[in-house]
Amino acid sequence: MKYMIMMFGGVGESLADRSPEWISRMQATMMTMDRELRESGEVVDSRHLMDPTQATTVRFTGGAPTPTDGPFAEIKESLAGYWIVETTKERAIEIASQVAAVVEYPMEVRGIMEE
Amino acid sequence: MSAARATTSTPALGDLLRDLAPQVLGALTRRHAQFDACEDAVQEALLAATVQWPTDGVPARPRAWLYTVASRALVDHWRTDSARRRRELQAALDPVGVVGPDDRGRAGDDDTLVLLFLCCHPALSPPSQLALTLRAVGGLSTAEIAAAFLVPEGTMSQRIRRAKQRIRDTGARFTLPPPDERAGRLRVVLHVLYLIFNEGYTTRAGPHLHRTDLTTEAIRLIRLLHRLQPAAPEVAGLLALMLLTDARRAARTDADGSIVPLAEQDRTRWDHTAIAEGQALLTRTLGTGLVGPYQIQAAITALHDEAATADDTDWPQILALYDLLSHVDPGPVVTLSRAVATAMVHGPKAGLALLGTLGTDERMAHTHRLEAVRGHLLEQSGDLPAARECYLRAAQATGSLPERRYLTRRAADLRSPPPG
Repeated sequence: MKYMIMMFGGVGESLADRSPEWISRMQATMMTMDRELRESGEVVDSRHLMDPTQATTVRFTGGAPTPTDGPFAEIKESLAGYWIVETTKERAIEIASQVAAVVEYPMEVRGIMEE
Repeated sequence: MSAARATTSTPALGDLLRDLAPQVLGALTRRHAQFDACEDAVQEALLAATVQWPTDGVPARPRAWLYTVASRALVDHWRTDSARRRRELQAALDPVGVVGPDDRGRAGDDDTLVLLFLCCHPALSPPSQLALTLRAVGGLSTAEIAAAFLVPEGTMSQRIRRAKQRIRDTGARFTLPPPDERAGRLRVVLHVLYLIFNEGYTTRAGPHLHRTDLTTEAIRLIRLLHRLQPAAPEVAGLLALMLLTDARRAARTDADGSIVPLAEQDRTRWDHTAIAEGQALLTRTLGTGLVGPYQIQAAITALHDEAATADDTDWPQILALYDLLSHVDPGPVVTLSRAVATAMVHGPKAGLALLGTLGTDERMAHTHRLEAVRGHLLEQSGDLPAARECYLRAAQATGSLPERRYLTRRAADLRSPPPG
């Protein structure tokens, strides 16, 4: 089955108070993990999103769609990127745990429905 | 191009050229009346001087030298206008060169050229021009192109189909554009090849390694165009620019794929064969036709490439070339680069002052580059908190993952007091 592993936080403001060493270590680990997952053939797709400050949210207000600058969730809790993996749920949770151990941000694992 | 330039050039050379330019232009225009053509010719003479004088020494009579070179350029320009078609035909017939026995020969060459013009039809959007060129001229499959641009194959297939339909709708025929449109159409072709190159080059550090194919493909296509149009200086200029830029590929990223800025690159890892080819091409080309932005950018890149260390970089010379570029092809991106060169020659405050003129430029307001460069110059000037703010803003605005990682690290580095 396919699972989407979503990472919340980990870009922009959420990094502002981290030390250079922490950031370098986090970036290096993320790049290594990205590469390993691709090489293992488990990743179907993975994308990093631009900073949430650049987002536009469209809400239905006053009977009409209204775009406003900024992300839907709070910046520190915005979606930062995702992996789509084809594997067991246990393995997907294992991958999410490995990332969470490094970035210290919450990860969500969701099954992707067949169509 | 030689290392001698690094020791002989000074800001005084740029000043001398700027002093002489209006004198030479005045004399030339008085004699020939065509101000615009004379102005182009003088620009060309200035570029030739910027490249040759530091190596060969300033001539005994620099004004006369510039006048002679400008006059020659002017005459060449007039001659080219009337003889362009004949020369192109001769070039196509020329048996010398890389035309092998298996080549389809002249007819094939003509077709390829017509095809390039057609794929880069001005009625198409740049993404369509890129896709169509890669497929029709580059011979890549739709799947390969889709992978290179990171879009689904169905999307790319639709894009190519619509592009072809659009060309049909315009009623374009499979012939070379009329002579009066040829130069403008060639500019579009060059721009498309430039975009293909950049698409591959700027993303080299990313996880999608197949995108490097785009750089290789762009170089292959511009080589082809150069063979078809050997007398076109901007074609040669763009080939030189690509070679001189791509030569740094191996040093641009470290083992992790992180960006290594130019000043910190291991220059022994640069491709010195490609650099030599680019330099030779540039030397052959400069002064043979009208100066254009690709030749100037190639000349700037060559100056970076021939510096043994970052400290050896001939910034006064580079600044002089950016000054030229801002005349020939003005724009906010050129101003940005000129600000960096200005800072290296006249100090960060002068560079920041030049950046200040961009603050109100609509085209710049939403790019991360302005903030990244401002951060860089503020860091040089010692204003670390302000520099850090700029890096953070740039990191938020960039759409490139390697760039975001790099800018985030730069910002983080400024949290602690600088070492030493």
